[in-house]
Amino acid sequence: MKKTHNINIGNSIIHIEEDAYEMLTVYLNEVKQHFSKNADDFEIVTDIENRIAEMFTEKLAEQQKQAVSIEDVESVIQQMGSVKDFETSEEATGGEMPGPEYDPIKKLYRDTDQAMVAGVCAGLAHYLDVNVKWVRLFTFITILLFGSGILAYIIFWFMVPKAKTRAEKMEMRGEEANLKGFANSYLQPFAVQSRGFVAEFLQVVGNFLQGSGKVIFKFIAGTIVVFGSIFLLALIVTLAAFLGFWNSDVHSYFPINIVNEEYLFTLTLAIFIILAIPLLALILFSIRVAFNSRPSNKVLSYGLLVIWLAGVVTGIFYVAKISSEFKEGAEFTQVTTLRSYPVYSLNVNRARVFTQEDSLNYRIDASGYKNRKILNDLDNDFNMPRNISFRMEKSLDGKVSMNTNVKSRGKTFETALKNAQNVHYDFLQDHSTLNFSPMLDIPKGDNWRGQQIELVLNIPVGTEVKINNAFDRFLGGYNYWDCKQEKDDEYTIWLMTDSGVKCKFERSKKED
Amino acid sequence: MIAENTQTQMRKGILEYCVLLIISRGEIYASDIIAELKQAKLLVVEGTLYPLLTRLKNNGLLSYNWVESTSGPPRKYYTLTETGKAILKQLDGTWEELAYAINTSRKVTDQESNEPTNQTES
Repeated sequence: MKKTHNINIGNSIIHIEEDAYEMLTVYLNEVKQHFSKNADDFEIVTDIENRIAEMFTEKLAEQQKQAVSIEDVESVIQQMGSVKDFETSEEATGGEMPGPEYDPIKKLYRDTDQAMVAGVCAGLAHYLDVNVKWVRLFTFITILLFGSGILAYIIFWFMVPKAKTRAEKMEMRGEEANLKGFANSYLQPFAVQSRGFVAEFLQVVGNFLQGSGKVIFKFIAGTIVVFGSIFLLALIVTLAAFLGFWNSDVHSYFPINIVNEEYLFTLTLAIFIILAIPLLALILFSIRVAFNSRPSNKVLSYGLLVIWLAGVVTGIFYVAKISSEFKEGAEFTQVTTLRSYPVYSLNVNRARVFTQEDSLNYRIDASGYKNRKILNDLDNDFNMPRNISFRMEKSLDGKVSMNTNVKSRGKTFETALKNAQNVHYDFLQDHSTLNFSPMLDIPKGDNWRGQQIELVLNIPVGTEVKINNAFDRFLGGYNYWDCKQEKDDEYTIWLMTDSGVKCKFERSKKED
Repeated sequence: MIAENTQTQMRKGILEYCVLLIISRGEIYASDIIAELKQAKLLVVEGTLYPLLTRLKNNGLLSYNWVESTSGPPRKYYTLTETGKAILKQLDGTWEELAYAINTSRKVTDQESNEPTNQTES
């Protein structure tokens, strides 16, 4: 099988095989080059072309075939005579006629036959008539120096065509693109020589993408369509659920309670748009790849883009607005004096303390809940970031007291202070036992603004503190677990000394 | 090389004369001229004929008509002009002279070349 071209020669349309076409082109170029000194020469060339066309037609009719082959072209050229034959017949009339000594025109092509990557260096080497290795060395040095070589290489790669046909390869090498050169190159086809690993790799990748890669791409695209759709559906369900959950407690849980209630609807919608539209675009694109369908129409694409941008702008607007509410900080301290005991026990009390308002909200019937407790979930860190810290200080005046520092942030100092004051936190003294609530309460309707509680227990020197295991979560600076006497003890004992709090029975490291 | 040069010069002149002779018989198509010249073993390659025809035409010896062809595009049919006919007549005369000159020269040469052989034989 051979590729054929359609040519219009001498006003006849003729099918011609590719190699034959190349040979004929070279021949006609040579003829044109030869007859290019007089005004009449155009006519001569036309006559010759007409005659060639006639011979082709005769040959095709004679052999009853469709396309001119290279053998036909060879025999026609033999009959018509080469340029050399024309020259000898003219020498006689014109005496010493300066032969058409033209330098073979070199053109810059990429030599993919000897390519390391894309044949740029090999092509340049042909053009500049230097050994390829020097060009490669130079390129390598420029890459090392500024990295500019890479950019230049890529530009050449895009700008310079690769030598595909035999005539182009001959032009690239600066071989005379005449019949002699043609015959030479025809006899010795341009072998693919010493191609670099990268060039081989690129070709393999190219072939792969054209062939079996397509199948894999389609498979990937199909998978994206399926999972993208599931994800999109999940996103829509989440949105619906979210909007439906409006009046429930969702709003008072941590990540959501950052957002002011009045912004929540818009911001949720904006986030939905920001996530859903790219997902939708990805799905549409994957459908296109997987099913070779037509590109989706532009109005839809631009519409989606505009909606997405609107979503982004809205999102940024609200995020900025909310972040501005973290601008100022406020802090206040409440000091509670405690009765003195030589030993204190610290416990976490999971019983939730309800205000009267809460009781109404949750419809807690006081009589029904007698002797029952509503417990906070101790392990639910979902509520809020760690926001309660506890430390022990030496009391200078011999009295025992508890400092409760409440911190918060807000848009202004005033709102920050208000936020801090609204924080509700309980600790109860039951003789020598101090019970702490596991979490701080922010009243309904208030947002999370970095509310924090710092508990400082001031005790005189010599006081012991028994700390329950559950209390460990509040202890930032103490090495709780190393202080345990036995591994399964439920508490640790700490002692206030002159130099600060110490563990009473520190396990020596040898025991570990 | 010199021999070749002389050969082509001789051929060249005779080719022109023959072309004019062939065309003088009436309107004729280039391919037919070529066929005849090939038969006469005067023309080796066709490519040389076209520059010749164009030159003769430009010198006013020939003219051509485009004639519709049944198998393909129109063809150029050549005829002699009046000047062409006049020049052909001159050339006829020249050829006679040349032929006489050549014949005479060759006869003498033949005789001379034969004589020495005869002498050696005798």
